[in-house]
Amino acid sequence: MLDSLLSLGGLVLLRDSVEWEGRSLLKALVKKSALWLVYHDFFRDPLNWSKTEEALPGGPLGALRAICKRTDPGPVTIALDSLSWLLLHLPCTTLCQALHAVSHQDACPGDSSPVGKVSVLGLLHEELHGPGPVGALSSLAQTEVTLGGTKGQASAHILCRRPRQRPTDQTQWFSILPDFSLDLQEGPSVESQPYSDPHIPPVDPTTHLTFNLHLSKKEREAKDSLILPFQFSSEKQQALLRPRPGQATSHIFYEPDAYDDLDQEDPDDDLDI
Amino acid sequence: MAAVATCGSGAGTTGSAVATASKSNVTSFQRRGPRASGTNDSGPRLVSIAGTRPSVRNGQLLVSTGLPALDQLLGGGLAIGTVLLIEEDKYNIYSPLLFKCFLAEGIVNGHTLLVASAKEDPANILQELPAPLLDDNSKKEFDEDVYNHKTPESNIKMKIAWRYQLLPKMEIGPVSSRFGHYYDASKRIPQELIEASNWHGFFLPEKISSTLKVEPCSLTPGYIKLLQFIQNIIYEEGFDGSNPQKKQRNVLRIGIQNLGSPLWGDDICCAENGSNSHSLTKFLYVLRGLLRTSLSACIITMPTHLIQNKTIIARVTNLSDTVIGLESFIGSERETNPLYKDYHGLIHIRQIPRLNNLICDESDVKDLAFKLKRKLFTIEVDFIS
Repeated sequence: MLDSLLSLGGLVLLRDSVEWEGRSLLKALVKKSALWLVYHDFFRDPLNWSKTEEALPGGPLGALRAICKRTDPGPVTIALDSLSWLLLHLPCTTLCQALHAVSHQDACPGDSSPVGKVSVLGLLHEELHGPGPVGALSSLAQTEVTLGGTKGQASAHILCRRPRQRPTDQTQWFSILPDFSLDLQEGPSVESQPYSDPHIPPVDPTTHLTFNLHLSKKEREAKDSLILPFQFSSEKQQALLRPRPGQATSHIFYEPDAYDDLDQEDPDDDLDI
Repeated sequence: MAAVATCGSGAGTTGSAVATASKSNVTSFQRRGPRASGTNDSGPRLVSIAGTRPSVRNGQLLVSTGLPALDQLLGGGLAIGTVLLIEEDKYNIYSPLLFKCFLAEGIVNGHTLLVASAKEDPANILQELPAPLLDDNSKKEFDEDVYNHKTPESNIKMKIAWRYQLLPKMEIGPVSSRFGHYYDASKRIPQELIEASNWHGFFLPEKISSTLKVEPCSLTPGYIKLLQFIQNIIYEEGFDGSNPQKKQRNVLRIGIQNLGSPLWGDDICCAENGSNSHSLTKFLYVLRGLLRTSLSACIITMPTHLIQNKTIIARVTNLSDTVIGLESFIGSERETNPLYKDYHGLIHIRQIPRLNNLICDESDVKDLAFKLKRKLFTIEVDFIS
């Protein structure tokens, strides 16, 4: 799944941290997908003071918008290293709007020439930002790859949001070879139970009780054959359950008891005062 | 004597006022002034707009939200002139469905629609509306779904409570189809219904050019443009009674998607104390003013799980009329909880308005869960807690 990330289009967010860096994965993905590479370097000279390159107005955002307006067909991958740098220099809302405009460029109906899919691959160092910008960018992203790992093995947790379906997630172990190609691997051999310590066995709380919570077989049979106090036969039960046509009220079945007095004249005859 | 006389005349006038009120019995939106028909009856004409009905509790004019189950929970429907705020679920899967049902209900009833979004083109949103289930098929589809749902459980024979065995599981049942329709989430609305409807779209990237200078104003430019657009539509099409309409009066249904997200230019999702932290609350205040003076109802979906400052959520809740929160189980630990295995998420009704009342219509049930079945979106009472 890691190698087909860019085929879905939209914004792919790579979240890395100090322990598990994502720049090499970014380069590996770029290498995998790129046929023709154009490189814009805004880090060394953001405001173009040295005037060496041709001036792209508006800085990095202008460059993004200029890419947005291109018309030649074919899928395009824009790799941003890194979004954190852009977030530090631009307001978050402007960046979100620009990324959305770029990544959804293929959905505009006005173009006569069909533009290929645009994928934007952005690297975000999540420890540099608060939960706000990270949450905002991840809600915009089509795919989110969070880097982690254990014991020297890097893993990518991929969360894929399709527009009207449930998001799917998957964990993929990988490593990057020195020539920046991607090597997908199986997980580490140690099967870890993530939430329980293997030294302490799970405790069954019902073992040392002074009362019995389970029924033995004989007890269960006795329980099943118990006659209930208001037991009807099953035929009468079914007859009552079936709704009778034309009968609005319910019936009361009453057997008079020995102590019941049916004399309507004096209801208090049995009182001895 | 004089006092009695004035009292008598006073009683007479109040009597006639009561008589007219009981005759019209609808709402405060009464047409005063000369009528085009020129009939001789003394009372004001009864306002009857397609797809609306008066509330039995407080006489407010109600429209359906598109989900009959939700209508029952809100006390009959959504009152005209109010805002329904939906707090989106985390991955934004179920709240667009409620949004689309609201719009589809407007199309089926012939109301005018106004769809505003910063993420998707409104024309695309309208293409994806669910298809309405027609009258003769709706009960059949509903019963078929209920039957499929019931078969595993009808095998359980109850020993002690056997009289309850055949009672249907407590679901919010189908209502009459003139108010509130059922929608099939797996099919699209027929194209001719969309073309026959009157709708206006507001897509933010088209309305705002990127080189616009941001003036230091309290409302973000996106919100200002949206408010102006809504105001223009209300004025031009006469929903506030300004242009006396020759044809029959109609209701405007406004749908605003993902309000407060960074795509609208608002930074409440990005920072805790941004520069525009009052922008959203002012927008809601002005919007409610526009709605109260016109025949319109509004649905807003908002990603409140992204809002960093919790006081803003509280203010937004106070400034809206009806607030519903959706919480889906995807990705949370409740997904594997066996108690919740039949449902897709919980619905929290956070606020119900008090419109011309001292108390509000709170329903007794507080634990509601929703489930997106193959075709229908249903809301059920969660029997667990």
